[in-house]
Amino acid sequence: MSSINTPAVVMDNGTGFTKLGFAGNDSPSWVFPTAIATRNSNSSSTTNTSSILNKSSDLSSINSPYTSSDTSFLNRNKISNNSIHGNREMSDLDFYIGDLAIDASKGPSYSLNYPIKHGQIENWDQMERFWENSIFKYLKCQPEDHYFLLTEPPLNPPENRENTAEIMFESFNCAGLYIAVQAVLALAASWTSSKVIDRSLTGTVIDSGDGVTHVIPVAEGYVIGSAIKNIPIAGRDITSFIQTLLRERGELDSSLKTAEEIKQKFCYVCPDIVKEFRKFDNDSEMFAKYIVETVSHRKVEIDIGYERFLAPEIFFNPEIASSDFLTPLPIIVDQVIQASPIDVRKNLYKNIVLSGGSTMFKDFGRRLQRDLKTIVNERVEASERLSGSKSSGVQVQVISHKRQRNAVWFGGSLMAQTSEFRSYCHTKRDYDEYGPNIVRNFSLFSVP
Amino acid sequence: MPAYHSTFLAEEDTNARIIGNMAILPLKTTFKGPALPCMESYDIIDEIIDLFRANTFFKNFEIKGASDRTLIYGILFLSQCLNSINYNTNKNEAIKILTNLSLDDFAIPGDIGFPLNSLYLPPNNRNDSVFLRQYLSQFRQELSSRLIGRLYQSNNNVPSKFWLAFGRKKFMNKAL
Ligand SMILES: Nc1ncnc2c1ncn2[C@@H]1O[C@H](COP(=O)(O)OP(=O)(O)OP(=O)(O)O)[C@@H](O)[C@H]1O
Ligand SMILES: [Mg+2]
Repeated sequence: MSSINTPAVVMDNGTGFTKLGFAGNDSPSWVFPTAIATRNSNSSSTTNTSSILNKSSDLSSINSPYTSSDTSFLNRNKISNNSIHGNREMSDLDFYIGDLAIDASKGPSYSLNYPIKHGQIENWDQMERFWENSIFKYLKCQPEDHYFLLTEPPLNPPENRENTAEIMFESFNCAGLYIAVQAVLALAASWTSSKVIDRSLTGTVIDSGDGVTHVIPVAEGYVIGSAIKNIPIAGRDITSFIQTLLRERGELDSSLKTAEEIKQKFCYVCPDIVKEFRKFDNDSEMFAKYIVETVSHRKVEIDIGYERFLAPEIFFNPEIASSDFLTPLPIIVDQVIQASPIDVRKNLYKNIVLSGGSTMFKDFGRRLQRDLKTIVNERVEASERLSGSKSSGVQVQVISHKRQRNAVWFGGSLMAQTSEFRSYCHTKRDYDEYGPNIVRNFSLFSVP
Repeated sequence: MPAYHSTFLAEEDTNARIIGNMAILPLKTTFKGPALPCMESYDIIDEIIDLFRANTFFKNFEIKGASDRTLIYGILFLSQCLNSINYNTNKNEAIKILTNLSLDDFAIPGDIGFPLNSLYLPPNNRNDSVFLRQYLSQFRQELSSRLIGRLYQSNNNVPSKFWLAFGRKKFMNKAL
């Protein structure tokens, strides 16, 4: 049984990246791609791994045998009859997750899969193995000794929760489970900002990861599902836009990896692109040089220019990169709040919280706040003209904070470290007694 | 924020002659032609060079007045200039190439070969037509000459690759 001292495990499995660690920490202990490399069925599994073995020091631990798991999920419906003592085929152990998966897939024998698409788990078999490896190889913990906090996207179907519970309780035997909505955790994470005074679970969350950007209104801990909007612009679109610009300029290297590094190291949000071009004209220091090592281990120098501010500009001016999605992020945020119940709108404008890797650009929050204020003020003025009376105005505030990048994970860490946390979880015993559908509901709780 | 408009829209009534529906704005130039001299430090050519890089990313542009048409014409001509040279063209060659391009037989609104006839009205009469052609010739020479200044600002032997890359973009999906 879990002792009172074992910290809860916090896992945030995103479309692009998994954040993994223990409650109470400020940041996840591991962040790696939510990717799994599985052996191609036609290649033999006995002559495995040696070629990639020396690539990474972590691999020694990856290959060591572990026993406490049965994961023959050929038939998910029957999984409740499986005991954790079943024996797994050797070939089922032959897979890698995270960065190792990406390395392995460079050879001929493994193929790379991303079990989560658009935030939702699509391949449960792969996801189970991914978790298994996360628990036993990274966290190196005994799941029966730990409570687990997992995250889910907004509007996740209840069946997905049940599948998750089945795996967590039946395959891994974990002591207890709480599944939290990512946006709610992101709100809790913002309480570390000094701008946040009342620790409320009401606000608008902008969660921008690799594949999509969600704009999610939350009122007192509940997602206002009907008003959510998704924007098909996120991290990987910004990266590929940078790649296009590098190519058009004929830079010596324009790989996705280089574009990704440029994005994280050099890009920022500017107030106005025409003025920013002028700034580059007047100050050559705005340009940068970057040395990259190519696949063939050659060092090449590439120049970095306008992509520094043009790339993140696609949030605010999608037209510069896409021809089918044209609505700027600030307009979407305004639409989401306007589509929410009138009595919460004021608080939704007042507490706009950023979350996810793609909100990390310098001055992202500042620009969003300015553009949104402009939209809101225009509407307020128009209605004042119509009614002839002065309105009390609307406060627009965008919250940036130190834990923004892994805000969802951090919010989970905050919640799962409280003494009440376990009382909000469903336990293995509850599960055995009532069955999987108990996880359709979790009570909300807030940190005192 | 959509594509940028001409700041000369505001002065159209007082400061510009309109031919067809395109504004004939004053120019700071020593090239011969009918343009009125520009008394301000910032003329339409400065504006074109200023807005070019931002506007080339946009496919949509709502024309708000005659000066916007002058701006569009200038941006498309600037694209044409960039596409007429390459990474190996030095400054002297560029001057030759772009001077020829500026003066070469070119189409004006109303001509069969003019690609923007759906957005531009033809000149009202023969005089206006002659005037417009002379103005645009002067305008093209001044624009390409100032562009060369930009392209070879730091090196007379190679044009700026940052500028040259914009030749790939097509403002409003159009080209001259
Ligand atoms: N400092 C940074 N600046 C800009 N982008 C960054 C930075 N750090 C990470 N990113 C980008 O953030 C993205 C990953 O974000 P995140 O981990 O929040 O996504 P995710 O949780 O996997 O996806 P989702 O929440 O959509 O399921 C990647 O595209 C990555 O390139
Ligand atoms: Mg995420």
